[in-house]
Amino acid sequence: MTPDPGIALIVFFILVFVGVLLWKIIKSPFLLQNIKQSKKALVEDILKQLYHVEYSGRTASLNAMAGALKLSDRKIVRLVEDMSSHDLLKLDQDILQLTSSGRDYALKIIRVHRLWEKYLSERTGFDKSEWHDRAEQKEHTLTEEQAEQLYHDLGNPRFDPHGDPIPTEAGEIIETHWKSLSSLSENTVARIVHLEDEPEVIYQQIVAEKLHIGSQVKIIASDNHEVKFFSEGEEYRFSPIVASNISVKELTAQEKYEEDVVRLSSLDPGEKAIILGISSECRGASRRRLLDLGFIAGSSIETEFASPSKEPKAYSIRNTIIALRGDQADLILIKKVNE
Amino acid sequence: MVEIKDKASEIIDLASELRWQVGDDFHDRLTEGIYADAATITERVEQKPDRKISYSFDRALDKILTSGTFGFPIMILVLAVILWITIQGANYPSGALAVLLLDIVYPFLKDISSNLGIYWWIDGLLIDGVYMAVAWVIAVMLPPMAIFFPLFTLLEDFGYLPRVAFNLDSLFKRAGAHGKQALTMSMGWGCNAAGVVATRIIDSPRERLIAIITNNFSLCNGRWPTQILIATIFIGALVPSGLANLTASLSVITIAMLGVFFTFFSSWVLSKTMLKGEVSTFTLELPPYRPPRFWKTIYTSIIDRTLIVLWRAIVFAAPAGAIIWLISNIDVGDVSIANLAISSFDGFGVLLGLNGVILLAYIVAIPANEIVIPTILMLTVSNLAITGVGAGEGVMFELDSSSETAEILKAGGWTVLTGINLMLFSLLHNPCSTTIYTIYQETKSWKWTSVASILPVIMGFVVTFLVAQVWRLIAGV
Amino acid sequence: MSDQIASSCDDCAFHNIAQLKKLGVNVEDTDYVVTLAGNPNTGKSTVFNALTGLRQHTGNWPGKTVTRAEGGFSYNEKRFKLVDLPGTYSLLSTSQDEEIARNFILFGRPDVTIIVVDASRLERNLNLVLQVLEITNKAVLCLNLMDEARRHDIIVDERTLAKDLGIPVVPTSARSLEGIPQLIETIYKVASNEIVCKPHKIKNLAGPVNKAVEQLSSKISKIYPEMPNSRWIAMRLLDGDERVVTALQNNEFLIA
Ligand SMILES: Nc1nc2c(ncn2[C@@H]2O[C@H](COP(=O)(O)OP(=O)(O)O)[C@@H](O)[C@H]2O)c(=O)[nH]1
Ligand SMILES: [Mg+2]
Repeated sequence: MTPDPGIALIVFFILVFVGVLLWKIIKSPFLLQNIKQSKKALVEDILKQLYHVEYSGRTASLNAMAGALKLSDRKIVRLVEDMSSHDLLKLDQDILQLTSSGRDYALKIIRVHRLWEKYLSERTGFDKSEWHDRAEQKEHTLTEEQAEQLYHDLGNPRFDPHGDPIPTEAGEIIETHWKSLSSLSENTVARIVHLEDEPEVIYQQIVAEKLHIGSQVKIIASDNHEVKFFSEGEEYRFSPIVASNISVKELTAQEKYEEDVVRLSSLDPGEKAIILGISSECRGASRRRLLDLGFIAGSSIETEFASPSKEPKAYSIRNTIIALRGDQADLILIKKVNE
Repeated sequence: MVEIKDKASEIIDLASELRWQVGDDFHDRLTEGIYADAATITERVEQKPDRKISYSFDRALDKILTSGTFGFPIMILVLAVILWITIQGANYPSGALAVLLLDIVYPFLKDISSNLGIYWWIDGLLIDGVYMAVAWVIAVMLPPMAIFFPLFTLLEDFGYLPRVAFNLDSLFKRAGAHGKQALTMSMGWGCNAAGVVATRIIDSPRERLIAIITNNFSLCNGRWPTQILIATIFIGALVPSGLANLTASLSVITIAMLGVFFTFFSSWVLSKTMLKGEVSTFTLELPPYRPPRFWKTIYTSIIDRTLIVLWRAIVFAAPAGAIIWLISNIDVGDVSIANLAISSFDGFGVLLGLNGVILLAYIVAIPANEIVIPTILMLTVSNLAITGVGAGEGVMFELDSSSETAEILKAGGWTVLTGINLMLFSLLHNPCSTTIYTIYQETKSWKWTSVASILPVIMGFVVTFLVAQVWRLIAGV
Repeated sequence: MSDQIASSCDDCAFHNIAQLKKLGVNVEDTDYVVTLAGNPNTGKSTVFNALTGLRQHTGNWPGKTVTRAEGGFSYNEKRFKLVDLPGTYSLLSTSQDEEIARNFILFGRPDVTIIVVDASRLERNLNLVLQVLEITNKAVLCLNLMDEARRHDIIVDERTLAKDLGIPVVPTSARSLEGIPQLIETIYKVASNEIVCKPHKIKNLAGPVNKAVEQLSSKISKIYPEMPNSRWIAMRLLDGDERVVTALQNNEFLIA
């Protein structure tokens, strides 16, 4: 009556394997239902890519486009023919060019993409490493009305969480005058305004180093091999390739470089400090909660004690003891005070 | 109505325009403004000594309770003491309640009903079914809860619990959870429904859901007696009698620890998959220590934790008792529904290293884990048509000595594997209906209620299945 | 606005029956609706128990009461209905608890809002107090945990505080019932308009923010002259609070 255990196990593992396989298939973009969708998506991706290329002042050939989007030659030719018949782009001696309606369309897609990233950053708990990919999916499915509703709900934002401007409904986009971090010379001070999220590997590296939009930086040394700079009390060394994905803006006359701004996480038990502000990388519910608890510029704060595993740490602020985790304390900027 | 819409949209349009002008940081500026007012007023009205002096006792205590050296030992000690007091202290009143409700009141009710000449099936349904289930739940559940919760509440009132959350947070953070889950988890050892209610202290949506869904992996006190009995019969018997008790206790603790492992494991999986999009924030305020008010605290915690949970359990146990009685007494053809169900579940049960009786018992005992063992015994006896034990079809019972119980179970074909897998399945199965109901109340979401209910059963099936096959491969049976 | 009502009827109830019903509070057989707001762990439930004689769960743990508790008491032949709200640090963010508390005060318009604060951590608590005072004019500050404040040598000048906030301040130690009779009396006086509050309005907003708030709130007052808390509504609209937008569109602010 008892089934043979060996056979039972084999059947079980086969079932698990089949289950996983089915799941993968359902999730994959190659499923039938996605095919119609994916033509629209491809068209939109080409427009977007072309917009980015033109915006940065370069030109795109048919081949380059096929390479960038990993499409076969046959396919790209067919798509481009189709798109030029709809007056979205022109092919001029192997150079692709957006028409004005193509450009409007591209901006709409970019608008949805950036709005969705903004939404993910403010209203959900997805990690920032996931925003881009999720927005890549969403930009092809959100209708125009939904996008407008979202724009409204989010409070008419002007920038996405990476610092990129969000095009307006009418297709206008704020011109940005950014420099790349690698172009700055020694001793210049600037503020990080944008972290490029493509290519992914470089973005992940920047994120892992805990560099934040809105932080001030001061270049210590910069040459062809390495860019060395200070930000929020930490020293960073990046290769110029990575550094060129970090955009900065030189400080305006009103902004002053805070020489000794450091992160709350560096405040040891017994030390006191004044809060200078919360980094703009701290968003949504977390940011509001910290503000509610009184983590406000000008407040005094003291580290009281750390938990047995060093994290979280307990801080005393406004006569209350609040414990924060390390990644939160990284986003609160302070200036230490000595007695 | 049109007028209202017009007025409203006039305002809303102006608001949109102004929002564009003030920019993204309105919220920050507003909060700063409010705090600036608060600071001005406080400055005028408050006089306080240097904080170093006025809270020196609190800080000194904090340094000890959260220190690298003493933090963990103190926590473990406190928990051990509470569990010990609960288990030891509950023994006597539980026994007394069982004698009262099962040995005195039950025959008394039966007498009355037979004197009044009530139909046998009304008497059976109400007294043998409903009354027995309720009596069992009260006898097993009330005493430990009435001890466990007040002790916990005293610690809560003193202000120690937030320090426990503080100490353990980094551990829970690795599983994507909140340090406060340490408390809701411990509360679950008393009662999962109470543990689920306690997740209200976690104010981050994602971590709160994690704590709710995984609370069932805390072995609640309705399940401890099952674990202890089965461990004594099947595992204690494997070693020389001098070590039997110790081995049985250790194996129960192992199961509870396995529960902790499953809590962390499924918290981690949930936070990486289904729940990763839920908003997550972390704040943990460490309130000042306040001397608790002993009697008042005990009184209120008995009233609003113990009795409320007990009441819910009774409400759910009563119909379960009726169903148990009915399935044993209604025949289809020549066999009772219970026996039919047992034989149809048996194949699947055996595949999992369990049997049809256990699966049926767990289905009818969804309302209350306390009645699993009595139901198993009753079903086994009736299924094998053993005479001389038990009190009749559909009447749950328990035996005074574990050796008599062992005999019945062995007659039912139980082996060590059945024992071990029952212990595992008792840890890993759906929450009781009180807890399911509470989860719904707390989340107001069918989705999360179903996940919390189904996830553990699936894990239970997989784990018992794997254990059974591996056991059989090794043992060669 | 309270003047307006006071002129027609001196001690009339002020609460919004229709909205309260929507919020699930039965106000039949009640003269006044009173609510308890405050930061977590300031003793709201303890005050609630002291006033009603009920036994709500209390605990030294921020975040205990999430669902609303209700009870009642009477004083001077008036029946009061008391509603315990979840403890919140603020009413500006949009967590579930804050929404419950905010909606109750904003739409239910209780006759008195008792704001329970921890006397030993006044500054943090005032953040919420000042927000509540933007919403309602009828409030009492319950300066609780006075015994704790004394134990830590913290002294609060309650008369200056009352003057600065423009509402009555009652020091209490709810656990030992100290100050509770005075609290009840004050609640009665505010409910029956014997005491008319002139609550503090937030002053220190940064220039451009303040300008935007003023501009929007004067627009709201112009369109709805009877709206008591136009400044608060302006702040919420500028913060993008969708619930307030819907409320405006459905006309939920005014007594139907
Ligand atoms: N010493 C003292 N403790 C109090 C007083 N009021 C409340 N408590 C305690 O403070 C803690 C929090 O009270 P609770 O009513 O649950 O606060 P809530 O979260 O605002 O509802 C509990 O441990 C109470 O016993 C008081 O006036 N004096
Ligand atoms: Mg409470």
